[in-house]
Amino acid sequence: MQKTEFLLSLDELLELEPGTVKGSETLESLEGWNSLAIISLMALMDERFGVTLQPRRIAACTTVADLVALLDDKIA
Amino acid sequence: MINPMDLAGRTVLVTGASSGIGRETARLISQLGARVVLVGRNEERLAETLRSLDGEGHRAELFDLSSADEIPRWLKSVTASSGPLHGLVHSAGIIKLCPLRVSTSQTVEDVMGINVKAAIGLARGFCQKNVRASSGSIVFLSSVTGLTGQAGLSAYAASKGAIIALTKALAVELAGERIRVNCVAPGLVTTEMGQGQLSLLTPDQGAALKSMHLLGFGSAHDVACAIAFLLAETARWITGTTLVVDGGYTAH
Repeated sequence: MQKTEFLLSLDELLELEPGTVKGSETLESLEGWNSLAIISLMALMDERFGVTLQPRRIAACTTVADLVALLDDKIA
Repeated sequence: MINPMDLAGRTVLVTGASSGIGRETARLISQLGARVVLVGRNEERLAETLRSLDGEGHRAELFDLSSADEIPRWLKSVTASSGPLHGLVHSAGIIKLCPLRVSTSQTVEDVMGINVKAAIGLARGFCQKNVRASSGSIVFLSSVTGLTGQAGLSAYAASKGAIIALTKALAVELAGERIRVNCVAPGLVTTEMGQGQLSLLTPDQGAALKSMHLLGFGSAHDVACAIAFLLAETARWITGTTLVVDGGYTAH
């Protein structure tokens, strides 16, 4: 998975215009980022990229960059 | 001393018998005297359940319930050797935590396939001549999510709500054939599947879910007891009902 693909997935999940999430935002600043979004992100990552994310690790993230770091070895 | 839930001389088929509620139900009803036909997809785990049963005459049958139309013919061949069935418990099922925005028709298809289509196939198979005894009891697994809303589980909830409706429809259709049809609606039970669900939640979500279960999370045994009650003569006058076993989850 490319980092841009991941950011576009986040846009899609949060119903934002493609290209809105740049990567440096705090999650709190993103409209629609809530506990259901966490579960949706897990489902989407699993379905689309075969990546399993741990909910407690996502919940511990505060910025988009933290999420990207979680996917560390999965992101090219 | 009498045992009102005595199942001696009864043969009961249990799907999903390789783990969780299915496995525990098989164990409990064997202790109550039933002969059990275990159904599952994993040979090793089924054999493990088989070894843990009380009494004699049990058997394990490998079968994939996703081929729902094959079920009636398969049940005929199973009962040709096991003898007619007095009870059927459909405990095989799948759950998918999947919020609406990422739910697709495939999600619905997967969940409905095992949870609902197989249930109908099993009921159809069970009703055949020579497959069932002169009277019978069918128990399906619904869920509290079929009764009250829970976020992220729409397809699963729809399938478990469908089980409640199916239970009532079949209770009416089959009463004349002396077949009772009921379901249990458990809250969160700490089986492998329940633990799997919990692991998909953030710590806050998990704590909130736990506090909703006034008596704490349940065990597979808690649900197995309710199933055994519905199978036995204790429930002779009960059909078409949903027995909620949820530690108080739906009480508020």
